[in-house]
Amino acid sequence: MTNWRLWVGGIATSLIILIALIGPILAPYEKDYVEPTGYYYNGPDDFGFHASPYPPSKEHLLGTDEWGYDILTLLLYGAKYTVFVGIGVALFRIFIGGALGIWFGLSLSKKKKTNSVFGLLGSIPAFLIIYFLLIGITINSPLSVMELVTLQSILMILLGFPGVYAAIYSKTSELAKEEYITATKALGAGKIRIMRKHILPHLKGTLLAMFIKEIILVLTLIGQLGVFNLFLGGTILRLHGPPVYISISRDWAGLIGQWRSFIYDFQWILFFPLLAFILMLFSFYILSRGIELKQKTTLQKFPHI
Amino acid sequence: MRLILSIIGVIIFILLLGAIPLSISITDDNLIFDFSIVVDLVINYLQGVWNGESFIYQEGIGRSYSILQDIPDYFLTTLHYLLIAGFVTVCMGMFISAWYSKSQKEWIKDIIGFLGTIPDFILVLFLQLGVVAFYQSTGFHIAKVASRSADENAYLLPLITLTLVPTIYIIRTLSERTYDVLSEDYILTAKAKGLRKRFIFIHHVVRNVLPYLKADLHKILAIMMSNLFIVEYLFNIRGITAFIFGGTMYQYNLIVSTLVALVFLYLLIYWTIRLLILLLERVFAHD
Repeated sequence: MTNWRLWVGGIATSLIILIALIGPILAPYEKDYVEPTGYYYNGPDDFGFHASPYPPSKEHLLGTDEWGYDILTLLLYGAKYTVFVGIGVALFRIFIGGALGIWFGLSLSKKKKTNSVFGLLGSIPAFLIIYFLLIGITINSPLSVMELVTLQSILMILLGFPGVYAAIYSKTSELAKEEYITATKALGAGKIRIMRKHILPHLKGTLLAMFIKEIILVLTLIGQLGVFNLFLGGTILRLHGPPVYISISRDWAGLIGQWRSFIYDFQWILFFPLLAFILMLFSFYILSRGIELKQKTTLQKFPHI
Repeated sequence: MRLILSIIGVIIFILLLGAIPLSISITDDNLIFDFSIVVDLVINYLQGVWNGESFIYQEGIGRSYSILQDIPDYFLTTLHYLLIAGFVTVCMGMFISAWYSKSQKEWIKDIIGFLGTIPDFILVLFLQLGVVAFYQSTGFHIAKVASRSADENAYLLPLITLTLVPTIYIIRTLSERTYDVLSEDYILTAKAKGLRKRFIFIHHVVRNVLPYLKADLHKILAIMMSNLFIVEYLFNIRGITAFIFGGTMYQYNLIVSTLVALVFLYLLIYWTIRLLILLLERVFAHD
């Protein structure tokens, strides 16, 4: 049976990466194009007033937001931040957590008892920690978009890699009990060699599946911060009248955050970014399932007789 | 003893965390972190605990209230939601994972896994959009989209969100365990003795799965707590997290007191659910 999940996931994910790469070229409008508001007059019975937000139409495939910005254009411009930060942060998490996990999994043989301090820390969610660290920095910040993106990425890496470390650590110490590891050790293999030749080949599939799952977790984290108006790449806060939060980089989670109150009217403004975000998550998810199933079939144990 | 130590550790962490936004400043494009402000804030707060000054917060200009007076109401609202969600989660999770463990169909796993990866905020927004769209097309009002005041809280949608995400987590972890247990020899023995399926489930499977649930409880509660913030914020519920995001200005003492209250809330929920599991053990795992 062909692994259709791997194919669908692979194609969808590459499409998303492609959109992130060349999105601005595909965009139908300039980044700061605003559809003007005005009157029209076609005859004594056919006249009126048109104003943003415009519903989805031929000119604006996904409609415009309340100021007249084309939503498709904003999504195409913002994709690169969401996608590449998600992938990059996940990569660093896997790299740091994986390397440390394998190293200590091979050296520390004693089993540590999990203490309840970490349990209690569960009462303070990860996004709240980043929220407190960034609340004084992200909103109306003098820092540039790139600096803010880097800062938030570093924080997300630091908060995320212990989880990867713990998972890889336990897997490695399981593997280290196998007889072939003892055999290579007896033959005089060093730690680096055991890591390269015996542990890594086993963990390759796990690490890949974990990588995709970490991407989803990072995207969720960015989105949760976006709900609380901390947008990736900075937030503009306008305080004349009711406070208005605007995402500078137009990343997808930020767009959802800034438009989250369009539930009652003009729903397309909220609906299309949500749809884009969930399609992105879906393609990563299907890819991870495909990898998982592929690994299951290759590493499955079969009876000898 | 270890519990007290870890509570103290978490409180120190909260004291430091809450001080960070006030001690970071940006001048000339440089991030400056001033540790002396952190020390001042912490010392001030601890002194204020003694004479009660730390428990006064401001709302607007010139209006100050006592945290100790206001927090219990909000605390109870949140407790209410979490307890209902926690109970439903544990019971439903146990039940569904027992049923689900036997089905090895990959597409069901796909659906449940994908439901588990949908972030809470997306679920909330989709539920809200769905209810409004349904109302606009049929004129039928299914549920409240958000709370309008403290007396009229939205219930159905927040509880769905608070329950769904941890339930799926339980289903995914426990169904594997249930599958392992089902392939054990003592199940085969029970089957060979001619015991009925339901009897085996109640007397042999459930009691061997419960320890895993106990071990995973911290993780489950962590998921629920993180959901709680999003749910209370997006559904406008006047729960305990409203103190953190509701105010117009950053008040150190308010934030710290709220977070400490949150830790106690966590412990309360934790021990209540442990009690529920104990009860389940009494029912299923008695000898």
